[in-house]
Amino acid sequence: MLDFKHTDRTRREFESLSLEHLDALYSAGLRLTRHERDAEDLVQETFLRAFRFFDKFERGTNMKAWLFKILTNTFINKYRRRVKEKVVVEGAAREATSENFVTREPTESASNPEQYFFEKLLSDDVIRSIDGLPIDFRLVVILADLQEFSYKEIAEILDCPVGTVMSRLYRGRKLLQKNLLGYAIEQGVVHGNTAMDLGAEAEMSADVLEFKRSTR
Amino acid sequence: MPPLACRDLEETLLHAYVDGEFSADECAEVKTHLAGCAACTLAVRIQESYKRAMRRAAVQAPHALLDSVRDDLAEEPAPGSGRWERAFREPRAIALAAAAAGAAVWFLAGGLQHPLFARRSQLLEAGVALHARALPLDYTGSDATSTQHWLESKLEYGVHLPRFGRGPQLQGARLSQVQSHQAAVVTYTVPEGDGHRVSLLIVDDPEPTLPGVARKIANREVWMSQARGFNVASWRNDEIVYSLISDLDERDIVALVQAAEQR
Repeated sequence: MLDFKHTDRTRREFESLSLEHLDALYSAGLRLTRHERDAEDLVQETFLRAFRFFDKFERGTNMKAWLFKILTNTFINKYRRRVKEKVVVEGAAREATSENFVTREPTESASNPEQYFFEKLLSDDVIRSIDGLPIDFRLVVILADLQEFSYKEIAEILDCPVGTVMSRLYRGRKLLQKNLLGYAIEQGVVHGNTAMDLGAEAEMSADVLEFKRSTR
Repeated sequence: MPPLACRDLEETLLHAYVDGEFSADECAEVKTHLAGCAACTLAVRIQESYKRAMRRAAVQAPHALLDSVRDDLAEEPAPGSGRWERAFREPRAIALAAAAAGAAVWFLAGGLQHPLFARRSQLLEAGVALHARALPLDYTGSDATSTQHWLESKLEYGVHLPRFGRGPQLQGARLSQVQSHQAAVVTYTVPEGDGHRVSLLIVDDPEPTLPGVARKIANREVWMSQARGFNVASWRNDEIVYSLISDLDERDIVALVQAAEQR
């Protein structure tokens, strides 16, 4: 029969290691599911599964990354199959690589503080922009920018090469920043001239990228 | 080494720098370049400003969630604590891969509606509780035919025990009750994936409807649902309800239902 003393000790150990990550898991779950109720269910199931497999967890290794691996796997298994997002991701990726409005080509606006518009935006706009990302990009952006996992940790969580993490993160951020710029213009945080500069840079940077590729 | 130029610091690398992925040496090189390059400095600043903005999307979990998680854990037996669960962890190689591939095709073709918040039912709760407890078996055996004979000698109704082919390994069965209805739990292990345990709850029709969302799987009407983190697939055969209960992923449960032959 069950050994209840053992059960209590294991449960206490599990709680002491895992519960401190509740906020982080919920934050990520909320941006993955985009619904509070779904996020709570996802987090609850993550803790249950983690506890069930706790004897497989190597003590002393990265508990937060381990929990996030379970969270993302649970999410992918449950929610992702509902939507045929694959096609959307590929389309968005093509679009993202042609949008490079944040560049280093010197322009008159180089010293213009309007370029730091990201921080002037409302949290709601940030959230809307994250939620608008296709799921493959949303996953890496959440792990890198909300949770600040390293590329290596993200690669382990998502079970993919570091190179894939880097390219998805790059393309995801491009898409997201483009949406943020849209909100910034809408709200007058960024004015027409700067927006035009940023737009012009986008075209210019495409040429620069092309140049870089041809000289490699 | 030649000093770093703008074209060496392409944007993915610039992101990696801002993300703190560079070694101390590499950072020093980048900083030397940034000191003399306004354009790259601006790009770094913008990227840093973006990252600060993103952090504002982090929120606190609702207070009630901590309580819910603690309650869930309190109800859950410790991992590997059950004598029976341990005894069942003998790895035997089986391949569910083919069935899983079939399920993947089915998922792609079917446009899935996940019963995420499936209606709770007493059948579901009782079945999952029986599965989670992993009680001792009344009958031990790995052969489906003799297990079926044993079940039929104990139950008041006929049983069609599924034949899984190369699927899960039959461990045995125990008699039980679900809301005063005669029931039996047949236990299997799926050695692939750390020896998952699968229970088949057999019960004499306790409710007019089955829990979850109905789907067509292998010419059966199968209801998929979830309770306490377990996936449950229920179907009816000759008025008797069969429910597969496991912490396997839904895809694997579907594969099991597909593989189950019932005469």
